[in-house]
Amino acid sequence: MNAPIVIENLTKYYGNFLALDKLNLIVPEKENIGFLGPNGAGKSTTLKILCGLIRPSSGQAFIDGINVVEKPEQALAKIGAIIETPEFYTYLTPVETLSYLGRLRGMKGQDLKKRIDEVISLVKLERWAKVKIEKFSRGMKQRLGLAQTLLHDPPILILDEPALGLDPRGVVEFREIIATMGSQKTVFFASHQLVEVAQICKKVAIINNGKLLAYDTIAELEKKYQTLEQAYLQLTGGSGD
Amino acid sequence: MIEFDKLRVVVMYEFMKHIRRRRLYIIMAIALTAEALALILVPTLMTGGYPDNVTLMAVILTFGASLAALGSVFFAGDAIAGEYESKTGFILFTNPIRRITLWTGKYLAGLLAVALLIIFTYVVMAIALAIIYHEVPIQIFGSLGLCLLYAAAVLSLTFLFSAISKGSMGATVMTLLFIWVLSSIVESILAFTGNPYWFMISAGGDSVALPYGSLRELMQGLGFGGGGGGPFGGDIGSFGTLTIPMAIWGMLIYVFGGFVGSIWISRRRQLA
Repeated sequence: MNAPIVIENLTKYYGNFLALDKLNLIVPEKENIGFLGPNGAGKSTTLKILCGLIRPSSGQAFIDGINVVEKPEQALAKIGAIIETPEFYTYLTPVETLSYLGRLRGMKGQDLKKRIDEVISLVKLERWAKVKIEKFSRGMKQRLGLAQTLLHDPPILILDEPALGLDPRGVVEFREIIATMGSQKTVFFASHQLVEVAQICKKVAIINNGKLLAYDTIAELEKKYQTLEQAYLQLTGGSGD
Repeated sequence: MIEFDKLRVVVMYEFMKHIRRRRLYIIMAIALTAEALALILVPTLMTGGYPDNVTLMAVILTFGASLAALGSVFFAGDAIAGEYESKTGFILFTNPIRRITLWTGKYLAGLLAVALLIIFTYVVMAIALAIIYHEVPIQIFGSLGLCLLYAAAVLSLTFLFSAISKGSMGATVMTLLFIWVLSSIVESILAFTGNPYWFMISAGGDSVALPYGSLRELMQGLGFGGGGGGPFGGDIGSFGTLTIPMAIWGMLIYVFGGFVGSIWISRRRQLA
């Protein structure tokens, strides 16, 4: 239970549809774990449960030993998350948005101001820092999403397709940021981009139909299946996209 | 960080939203237009210009303020539904803040914005009365208090519909239909048949003018009913009465019922 992320028998039904089927997974400290699976495999559902956005039908999820369903506020204090394409209040600027979210996390004064400048610089949004978000493209919102994830310097990052909508330069920059942060933080990272995952993570979990199919290092999977892509395709029944 | 500090932060940023959005200024313009129309049309259409009684003119101008209270629908329609519809909840809800704190902050910010609007409308009304009659009836403060309570009730009801609805527009339309159509019709039928109607939210809107006198007295002042004269004859006499305490109780039911209901429903709502 001491691992940053512990998932125990997690099951989720949407009506009669079984999205997660007794999923078990442990993400160790300061490791970058890729979370792979085809559309509808249950990746986003898992991450949404971890972020307290939805409740599981049964089973438990823990962030740093804290039960997400029972004590969501305490659990959420430990994470930074991007779920789906982030949307922000369009009437605020990035600086105001980060100030709002930072204050909700107890940050304030010069420390907050300094940290906002740092993360805005990190995601290269300096020129847009004081422009209302209503004028932002999808890629820019994604950059801001990453900035808010890192704002409070959380020990755990939960990222759902974080590079979606970024231009090629943005994808490279994002990869560098996560690679740098990943050495100091635990990163649980869902993506369809196998190349991207392979460059950031050493270990991956592959799921389909809500069930964990494999949880191993990329090196081990490549030994068994030649490539990560082959592992993904064979394990998910060739339905990978 | 204690929840009260978080509440203060939510109120501050939500209030900023209301101040920056055009709808505040549109509602303000509509309320002012209603006041201006009353000030222009009353002396034009009534023989002898403005009524002699300052209280009667205050009642006529109060409709503009009630309109401002109704503006709270537009402030709160997207309060809950908007977080799900526009998916801003994916960012906001992943922060360590209790949903009850978030919704309470949104409610208080909406109430603050609509109170600002109402007070502004009453100030305009008081200035107009002071210019025309060289006096402002003291009852205007009672009317302002009831108008603020009415706004709080409408806001709570809108929160309830916002918690139920998938979209902000649905919540706004449903609330307006409930208040302007459903509640008004039922209130009229209950009042006309001599039954109590204080628990209808539209009665809360009507009560805003009560500090100036009863409905019967006001209609008499305009030359209708009460003593058998005017187009409504004795029909007004059979209307059930609405008193200020009754109206306050009625509105309080909506204030607390609507807000608690919205919290209860939205706690069950998931952002899938």
